[in-house]
Amino acid sequence: MKLTKALVLAAIISMLAAAAPAASAATPYEAYTYNFYEESVPLPAPYVPEKAVSGQSLGVGSFNQPNDIFVTEDGFIYILDSGNARVIVLDNQWQVLRTIDGFEMDGQENKFANPSGIFVSEKKEIYVADTDKGRVVVLTSDGQLIRVVDNPQSEILPPDFKFVPLKVTADRAGRVFVVSRGMYEGIMQFDENGKFIGYVGTIKVTVSPADRLWRALATDAQQAQMQLFIPTEFASVDIDRKGFVYATTVDINSTETIKRLNPSGQDVLKRFGHFPPRGDIRYRILGNNSGPSKLVDIKVLGGGMYVALDSLRARLFTYNDEGELLYAFGGRGTQLGVFNTPVAVERVADKLVVLDRGKNNIVVFAPTRFGKLVSAATTEHYNGNTDRSVDIWREVLRMNSNFDIAYRGIGRSLLMQKKNKEAMEYFKLGMDRKYYSTAFKRYRREVMQEQFGHFMTTLMVLIAAFVAYRIVRKVRVRRSETREA
Amino acid sequence: MKHDFVKFPLHVIVHPFDGFWDMKYEQKGKIRVALTILAIFILTLILQRQFSGFLVNFNDPRYLNSLNDIIYTLLPFLLFCFANWSITTLMEGEGKFKEIVMATGYAMLPLILINLPLTFISRIMVQEETAFYYLLNSFAGIWFLYLLFAGIMTVHQYTASKTVITMVLTVIAMGIVVFLGTLALSLGAQIWYFIYDIYRELIFRT
Repeated sequence: MKLTKALVLAAIISMLAAAAPAASAATPYEAYTYNFYEESVPLPAPYVPEKAVSGQSLGVGSFNQPNDIFVTEDGFIYILDSGNARVIVLDNQWQVLRTIDGFEMDGQENKFANPSGIFVSEKKEIYVADTDKGRVVVLTSDGQLIRVVDNPQSEILPPDFKFVPLKVTADRAGRVFVVSRGMYEGIMQFDENGKFIGYVGTIKVTVSPADRLWRALATDAQQAQMQLFIPTEFASVDIDRKGFVYATTVDINSTETIKRLNPSGQDVLKRFGHFPPRGDIRYRILGNNSGPSKLVDIKVLGGGMYVALDSLRARLFTYNDEGELLYAFGGRGTQLGVFNTPVAVERVADKLVVLDRGKNNIVVFAPTRFGKLVSAATTEHYNGNTDRSVDIWREVLRMNSNFDIAYRGIGRSLLMQKKNKEAMEYFKLGMDRKYYSTAFKRYRREVMQEQFGHFMTTLMVLIAAFVAYRIVRKVRVRRSETREA
Repeated sequence: MKHDFVKFPLHVIVHPFDGFWDMKYEQKGKIRVALTILAIFILTLILQRQFSGFLVNFNDPRYLNSLNDIIYTLLPFLLFCFANWSITTLMEGEGKFKEIVMATGYAMLPLILINLPLTFISRIMVQEETAFYYLLNSFAGIWFLYLLFAGIMTVHQYTASKTVITMVLTVIAMGIVVFLGTLALSLGAQIWYFIYDIYRELIFRT
């Protein structure tokens, strides 16, 4: 009796143990990517939330509506605490180095007013888009004023133009790129002396046929009432090592909400995936959480990858250099790892940090083994080390056999090694028709060259047989004719 | 046998007016030939959806269903014949239902003759050559429509413009038939559930 009781108890305990989920793998969101059929396919989580950092935990008092964050290459973190009008500088161990809440200008103490963008150059110069004061302030790393970019003068600016900088970035040469409110012409570009030199990334206005018809039918007075077809504004900018400016726009009608601008201002982003990089491609049209993604921030990750932050559904989308979605994750909520109002995304070494204005904190995401392997393989592939990337892709496939990009990566490397038939197989699995065609073309030529002898022999034999048949028939017919005659 | 199944259908598709005339007035058409062509056409469709080359095959293999292919080919075929018969009866058409079925069946032959070999040829095509695949596919479709037009015209002894009008009306009639069909089905379902509910009510009352 006692034994049975003990057995039953043991059984119950073992059941409970089995029911408990593995805590290490638990994330409050489900990561996914889109396949060829534009369905979302679940993935193992590429990143897991590691910790949340708030003002209190740093010992500088709670943040108030922080708007932007910047992390330098060596891991120094600059938080723009807009509500408190200060910049908090952390070292790569998350220790506070200093807070900058003002600077000296013309012999007087000067403060920020609701700043909303920050950028730190390689020389550790801090660029702050000081929104309400209509200027971009450039400071040294310890908070001394270097220069102020404000009040742009140019013939191409309207006379009543008001400079309201929102986001700022700068290239190595000291050119400053500013996203300004109400500036529909593009991103404003300043030279190293703070002189306005023009726009980059001008957005084209597209008018739908329905709008065009409507406009043609309307009277002049009605037309005046209609809203103008103005292109949308940029939402954020970032710059990569080569000096290309990455920018996002919030435009519900466009599929080109992410742009990569070359130094002359043209959009050169590769969009070679099955769908353009623009966040979610499947979403509700009406109701809660509806509409296309609102990409409010972008960060270049290296290896050709970049991550865009969708503030509408609070998700992060990581793309490779070809514009293929690697993975998306995140969501709204109160747990660690989901957001209230995410406003900025940055990278600290291989981790991601997301600044949440609603929660007044920063969430740090650490890559999982899967995430690390995917980014390693993508980077190797981007750098041209296809052989090395293949091994990593195979490892990735062992963890997730539904990952189309891995098949494509292996296929491309096999194609380079002239293993055309195997490459075909992988391209088929990765649904890459363009490369499949290339591989198949080569394979077909190979087979043709190999089999040409056999083919020609068969053909000659057939022709000879046919000719012989005709001759025999003709002879027979003639014979029967002569016999009849 | 050979004449019925091979020679005459091939004659019809290259000389449609002559061929359909013979079909109607010389009793050269056979309903079983038309139905065989229909069956092979369904087979072609199934094979095409399953086996055409990767570069031209955009079907999701998870959702390929041969039964659906059969239903969605057979149903429109019969619907067209029925609707066309209904319309042409009212519009002094001379064709019988049997003749309409035959004309439609024989007209589908080019779709088989072109698409069936093309399915397998498409497997050895590269991206640049797929243009020919689509070209031949559309060619087969246009040929089919032309034959259908000629067939209906000859079978009913219509002028060209009247054929066009009856074709349009046939499409509308097909829509009406589908609408009435779904209406009848849903009403039938309502009645069935009404009876079922009463039955259930009675069961639980007692």
